[in-house]
Amino acid sequence: MDKVKRLLLPKPIVLSNGKSVQPKLSPMVYVIPIMGVLTYYSLSVTRFNIGTLIRRGEQFWIIVDRMIPPNFAYFSNIYTPMIATIMMSVVGTLIGAILALPAAYASSQTMNQSNVGRTITKWVSSVLRTLPVLVLALIFRIIFGPGAFAGMVAIAVFTFTIMTKMFFELIDTADMGPFEAILSSGATRIQAFWSSIMPQLWGQYYSLVLYNFEMNIRNAAILGYVGAGGIGILLNERLAWRIYPDVGLILLVLMITVLIIENISRFIRKKLL
Amino acid sequence: MIQFQGVTKTYPNGVSALRGIDLHINQGEFVAIIGLSGAGKSTLIRTINQMIKISSGSLLVNNIDVTKLKGKKLRRFRRDIGMVFQSFNLIKRTTVIKNVLAARVADMPFYKSMLGLYSKQDRIIALEALDQVGILEKAYTRADQLSGGQQQRVALARCVAQQPQIILADEPVASLDPVTSNQVMSDFVKINKELNITVIANMHHVDIALKYARRVIGIKEGLIVFDGPSTEITNEKLKQIYGRELSDDELMGEE
Amino acid sequence: MMTSKKLTVQEQLKNAPKTWLTKLAVIAVIGTLLWIAKDYVIYRGLTETGLRVARNIFVSIFTPNTSILFNMTSRNGVPFLLLETAAIAFLGTLIGTILSIPIAFLSSRNIVPKWIASIGVSLIVVIRTFPAVVYGLMFIRVTGPGAFTGVLTLSIASIGMVAKLFIEVIEDLDPGIIESLDASGCNTIQKIQYGIVPQLMSNFASTAIYRFEINVKYATILGMVGAGGIGAPLIFAISAYRWNDVGALLIGLIVLVLVIEAISTRIRSKLATGE
Repeated sequence: MDKVKRLLLPKPIVLSNGKSVQPKLSPMVYVIPIMGVLTYYSLSVTRFNIGTLIRRGEQFWIIVDRMIPPNFAYFSNIYTPMIATIMMSVVGTLIGAILALPAAYASSQTMNQSNVGRTITKWVSSVLRTLPVLVLALIFRIIFGPGAFAGMVAIAVFTFTIMTKMFFELIDTADMGPFEAILSSGATRIQAFWSSIMPQLWGQYYSLVLYNFEMNIRNAAILGYVGAGGIGILLNERLAWRIYPDVGLILLVLMITVLIIENISRFIRKKLL
Repeated sequence: MIQFQGVTKTYPNGVSALRGIDLHINQGEFVAIIGLSGAGKSTLIRTINQMIKISSGSLLVNNIDVTKLKGKKLRRFRRDIGMVFQSFNLIKRTTVIKNVLAARVADMPFYKSMLGLYSKQDRIIALEALDQVGILEKAYTRADQLSGGQQQRVALARCVAQQPQIILADEPVASLDPVTSNQVMSDFVKINKELNITVIANMHHVDIALKYARRVIGIKEGLIVFDGPSTEITNEKLKQIYGRELSDDELMGEE
Repeated sequence: MMTSKKLTVQEQLKNAPKTWLTKLAVIAVIGTLLWIAKDYVIYRGLTETGLRVARNIFVSIFTPNTSILFNMTSRNGVPFLLLETAAIAFLGTLIGTILSIPIAFLSSRNIVPKWIASIGVSLIVVIRTFPAVVYGLMFIRVTGPGAFTGVLTLSIASIGMVAKLFIEVIEDLDPGIIESLDASGCNTIQKIQYGIVPQLMSNFASTAIYRFEINVKYATILGMVGAGGIGAPLIFAISAYRWNDVGALLIGLIVLVLVIEAISTRIRSKLATGE
């Protein structure tokens, strides 16, 4: 019994003045059992089967192997959908980011004095935020019909929800001093917000927009799976038909596009902050 | 002209900041308000532009009952009153000129202020205000690259650009060193004289207050306990206002 | 203090920096992009059923099919689907994190030579480029549809972000602490135990929990490509216009994500402030 106790409770440290200090219980004492139980149940719920992985694992590498070399002749087919993918993200990010500004204002504790209005906006945007972009795309595909427009709307809504949350948190931490100064000069709250809070945050706002744009390029690439336009349609089709060299080219082009956009965006973001 | 009559202010948490203020300030006066922190100085000047609403009494500015003002009329009224703060309250990340121009947005149609389309006349007003406080050459510098004294002058210029009749200053030099404090106070005096703008300033440093203000108001626990020319202030009077000897930090010391 | 020649207001007015040039350039770039976009992103109006569908989805949230929303026994009930989704995310995060630890150490410039680190970093960049669904579509061809495939997908997809953040923490390690342990005569294991682990643990845990939060959202999507969880029933219900089922599934999904988000935020803020 003593041994178990010793294992769980670290040894008391005796100080030079004779007092003894009991170090805090290591969090591992409860973290490890909890993790163990969760892992055990997760393994059984997901029917985790290491055997399947060992037996079939090499299939993954066979697929990768067949993608190389990619079929470069296929490029003429993916050019248009790739541009569409980028354009869906550009337009969707822009619309979402612009709409997020008033929503963030309305969700901000320091700006919106109406508790009811603030709570409603916050709840609506958090609930919308839980919906995955693919679910949104599917819904908008049904509403607007197949094509890039549905994908663009899905990206706009998705960006709107994320930007609203990220940006209202920034507004809440902005320096309120200038706001009080402009308000005291006879401006409306919205005018004061625009001319004293926003100048503090423009850099961070643009940075957030670019960050979302980076993320949205990747998101846009999969929306075709539910028929919402872009490169995803071809990706899904070529995978289903097992034409792996074409898949290889799509992935290669996607990778290059994402890397180029990420690097441009990081370059600008570094300059902004 | 500003007239307080039996003005009281009780905050929602029960604190009585003003307990019956009677006060009369004429156009063009330079008034310093002194007293312990928590005596009600900040509350008093913020009631004048209605950043804080009073609980009872009457408050007239140029014969208008300001307590009744709401919405558009209140904002129109505030345009005539500039305000300067202890912490300057500048937008640090942006240029000096944009800080000053921000005082003009209240006068602009919303779409123009949104797009930042300041007229040439607005720009000239802003630059002239900067010239008045002697930092015209800093117009295109970022505000956070200026010294404290320069930043407070930008704040003062922002006030002047509003073309007000009254300037309220909430401890304008409390976070500045003696030399810059004296410079900034001289700017206040200059603007007060040249443009005949009423200046009402809360002062933490009593010696500075006495040096620049012509009239001094002493506040203790929400009541006016002294009101007279700065030349009439004696050590006895100060003891009465502060309830004790002045502490070192309440004196700025020599330049 | 005074400059010899006094600047006048008129002169200073002309000195205004030409910020409109940058503004014009940005507007030109965005304008061009939008001009290109109009040929690719085309509004063709609503579908005939569009408005009705939109209304039905909205109404569905308030009129869910309660028989599947509260069905605790069936594998098609919402509770089980949520459990499965969370389990996929949990295992995916766990395996992804475990895989990320050695990869991160082998990609940190203060641990291994630069050229080895840059190989590791490139690998991580490549993994990060592809959306999780792409891995899902590939793994389905390896292990077939089901939750197990979802776990594998998220394990791999997690590495991109988790390893990248781990590297940042490792490269920020304070070498002073290890040096002082060196000086006090600790052996390698003790150095790791007292010098490295305490510096890394809370950061690693925080990253892993954050990724778990993201993985829960991914796990809800993965079902749509057949990799288990709540996504598949949701996509079927929407496609078949079974609105009451859609409502029940959406409510489940919203509650799951909000609950996990709240827990994750709370644990991470505790970790940040040191228990």
